[in-house]
Amino acid sequence: MASLDVNPAAISLQADLRRRRFTKMGLIWLAVLLFIGWCVSGTIIADTDWSRIGGRSGVLASIGRYLTLDIGLFPELIIPTLETFMMACVGTVLGCFFSLPVAWLGAANVTPSKTILYPIGRFLMVLSRSVHEIVWALIFVSAVGLGALPGILAIAMRSVGFISKITAEAIENIDAKPVEAIRAVGGNQFQVMYYGILPQIYPVVLATVIFEWDINIRRSAVMGLVGAGGLGLLFFRQMNSFNYGGVSMVILAILLLIVLGEVISHYLRKAVI
Amino acid sequence: MNVLEVSDLKVRYSAKGPEILKGIDFEVKDDDFLAIIGPSGAGKSTLIRAVNRLVEPTGGRITLLGEDVRNLNPRQLRGLRRNVGMIFQEFNLINRMSVMDNVLSGRLGYTGNLRSLFRAFPQSDVNQALYYLDRVGLSDHINKRADELSGGQRQRVGIARALMQRPKLLLLDEPTSALDPKISREVMHLIRDIALELKVPALCNIHDVQLAKEFCNRIIGMQDGIKKFDGATETLRDADLEEIYAMEVL
Amino acid sequence: MTEQAITAKLPSNGPTWSRYRYPESLYRFGTLLVVVLFLGYSLHFLNVDIAKLIGALGRLVGVVSDRYYPPDLEYVLDRGYLAAILDTLQMSFLGSFAGVCLAVPLAWFSAGNVTPHRVMFPVGRLGVISCRAIHETIWTILFVSVLGFGMLAGVSALTMFCIGFAGKLFADEIEAIDMGPVEAMQSAGANPLQVFLFAVVPQVRVAFTGIAIYTWDVAFRAATVVGFFGGGGMGWYLKRNVQQLENLRVAAIILSIIAMVLIAEFLSGYLRSAVNRAK
Ligand SMILES: Nc1ncnc2c1ncn2[C@@H]1O[C@H](COP(=O)(O)OP(=O)(O)OP(=O)(O)O)[C@@H](O)[C@H]1O
Ligand SMILES: [Mg+2]
Repeated sequence: MASLDVNPAAISLQADLRRRRFTKMGLIWLAVLLFIGWCVSGTIIADTDWSRIGGRSGVLASIGRYLTLDIGLFPELIIPTLETFMMACVGTVLGCFFSLPVAWLGAANVTPSKTILYPIGRFLMVLSRSVHEIVWALIFVSAVGLGALPGILAIAMRSVGFISKITAEAIENIDAKPVEAIRAVGGNQFQVMYYGILPQIYPVVLATVIFEWDINIRRSAVMGLVGAGGLGLLFFRQMNSFNYGGVSMVILAILLLIVLGEVISHYLRKAVI
Repeated sequence: MNVLEVSDLKVRYSAKGPEILKGIDFEVKDDDFLAIIGPSGAGKSTLIRAVNRLVEPTGGRITLLGEDVRNLNPRQLRGLRRNVGMIFQEFNLINRMSVMDNVLSGRLGYTGNLRSLFRAFPQSDVNQALYYLDRVGLSDHINKRADELSGGQRQRVGIARALMQRPKLLLLDEPTSALDPKISREVMHLIRDIALELKVPALCNIHDVQLAKEFCNRIIGMQDGIKKFDGATETLRDADLEEIYAMEVL
Repeated sequence: MTEQAITAKLPSNGPTWSRYRYPESLYRFGTLLVVVLFLGYSLHFLNVDIAKLIGALGRLVGVVSDRYYPPDLEYVLDRGYLAAILDTLQMSFLGSFAGVCLAVPLAWFSAGNVTPHRVMFPVGRLGVISCRAIHETIWTILFVSVLGFGMLAGVSALTMFCIGFAGKLFADEIEAIDMGPVEAMQSAGANPLQVFLFAVVPQVRVAFTGIAIYTWDVAFRAATVVGFFGGGGMGWYLKRNVQQLENLRVAAIILSIIAMVLIAEFLSGYLRSAVNRAK
């Protein structure tokens, strides 16, 4: 059969190529595994007291403690759940207010000063996101004391980065034509922004805010761990009094809240678009 | 009386870039409907925008409604701009706003920030908007969003918006070149009739020489940033056209 | 034309216009009112004093300059702390590696278009959603209570976090693939695993690599605080100094966290664009 009459040199070349590719992939995976091994030995192996964990039965027993529910905790859950939800809402709204000036500074086409204020705006965006919400909460607890206020502020600060970044990008991508029209009718700076820019960006901004709000419910639920109110505080107390059924109840409440947030944001997003 | 006098106008978009307008002189009398024709890239849009400083001129002198445009501070400039109605090739409407709000936005130059914030335009502005919307034939579309309209309808919104300013001069940047020929003619008719009725002079960029001859009393021909022709429409000869469009022929 | 002239020209029974229309405007303002009232009530419920809120931002500058300035930079250049940074890095690598490895099958199960079996779909979905729903700090506390203090708990928590984070992005990516190759493989009689390996993986490989790098970046951010709850690394130093009110050291630690996160973000951005270019 003529079709099988292949040049033997081509076959060996093929095999050679394939072998080389296998060697290359093998080397890469070996390097990855070595690297992972190094990480494992540096962290887990060096830092774990296996005897204290107590083997498989010990671990299973520790997990088993959580598989009960302390129904009696229910009345105590309601107010912290509400607090958590409200902290997320107020924090998100406050974050939007903070985001406005930051986005204004950090959008290349509207920034008042390209050399000084633009980099400041960009830096604020990065700063907001690079500090974890727990760290923000620590800072605000030390600045304004315990309670919901530091939680709100921490959530607001943490939200600024993402909201203002997306907003600034939206501003940079606007259509310049309506802006030109508003300038041509003699509109001032504010009118140009309010009539020329805002109508173009608000769907994007609103979708971003809803997205961030959804995440902020999660964040809000842990603010209490460092003294900033809500379900986190209850979680912390249950954990400290070794009431594992209570811990499970709190987690259940968090899950419910998050599902609720997910559902609401789903409908809000639909309403926006 | 001249509404607009331009002498030796020069524009470059950047310090090192090419000179787009290389010293243009002309004037607009208060009963002119003046066409600017010329090949693409000649600088027609740049010229129109330099008149109310949407593009900053780099040399020359512009006297608009008796004021030296290049010496105005931002506030005075806004005051001047609100006397100049502008109609754009691509309509430049605010797509997400209603037709009514787009038309009302023509009054922004006369409206304070607080009123602008709540879009609370005075009733007299609303009445005027209703009148002009009726005049351009959009009474049935007042509450539609601007992006739900056809091209010709959008340009009518643009016209109504410009008229809301009670302009003393109209600047038209190819108002019809995004429209099909039949609609183009209707829109040009509308603009010219209103301009005559309100006794507002107009300066109009136009691609289509036929339209220019039909609707305008005077024609300026431009090529590559230089004025090549300036005279009454009847005096435009084919030879002039050949010169103006020389680059395109080659 | 003057105003009077225009008003005179308007037919008396002609069109009128009002910005407010029933019932749309009513719904809109009703919603707005409800939202504003809710926010106001929330402030009341949470005992937040508006004056204090505004004052807090002014105070923030004061507090920071009083208590946190100058940061004790020597402390973060100490051997022990530098080792903690390395630990944090290693934890983030491990957590994101394990998380990404586990997220791939879960994403496969939970992608509506190529899920291997009806039963697997909810398993994948639930797995990813529950990993996502619980904040990384809560995962840390839970793992610490089961596994004891230390980096094992931290890595486990980060793994859960990464499963949730990467799993959702992976699944979205899989759901957006071109179904042509999938159908071709199916009609050739391939089993679901073969379909996944030969029709799905080639389409999402580049995107997955980018997501994996991004996951590491985000995991590193989370890794800086798992130590605060007993998971090891930089966060543990943060906790100790917060409790001892060593504010200057806290400031230095926060600065070091910011610096490391910036480096990680830069690195991940660079790697992701490199991956996209090498595609
Ligand atoms: N914003 C800008 N920045 C830099 N160069 C520009 C800018 N706008 C226009 N130009 C340049 O100026 C020249 C003239 O452009 P202009 O838009 O004025 O031409 P035109 O006569 O209106 O052409 P058309 O008939 O295509 O509208 C062109 O070469 C163009 O590239
Ligand atoms: Mg043009």
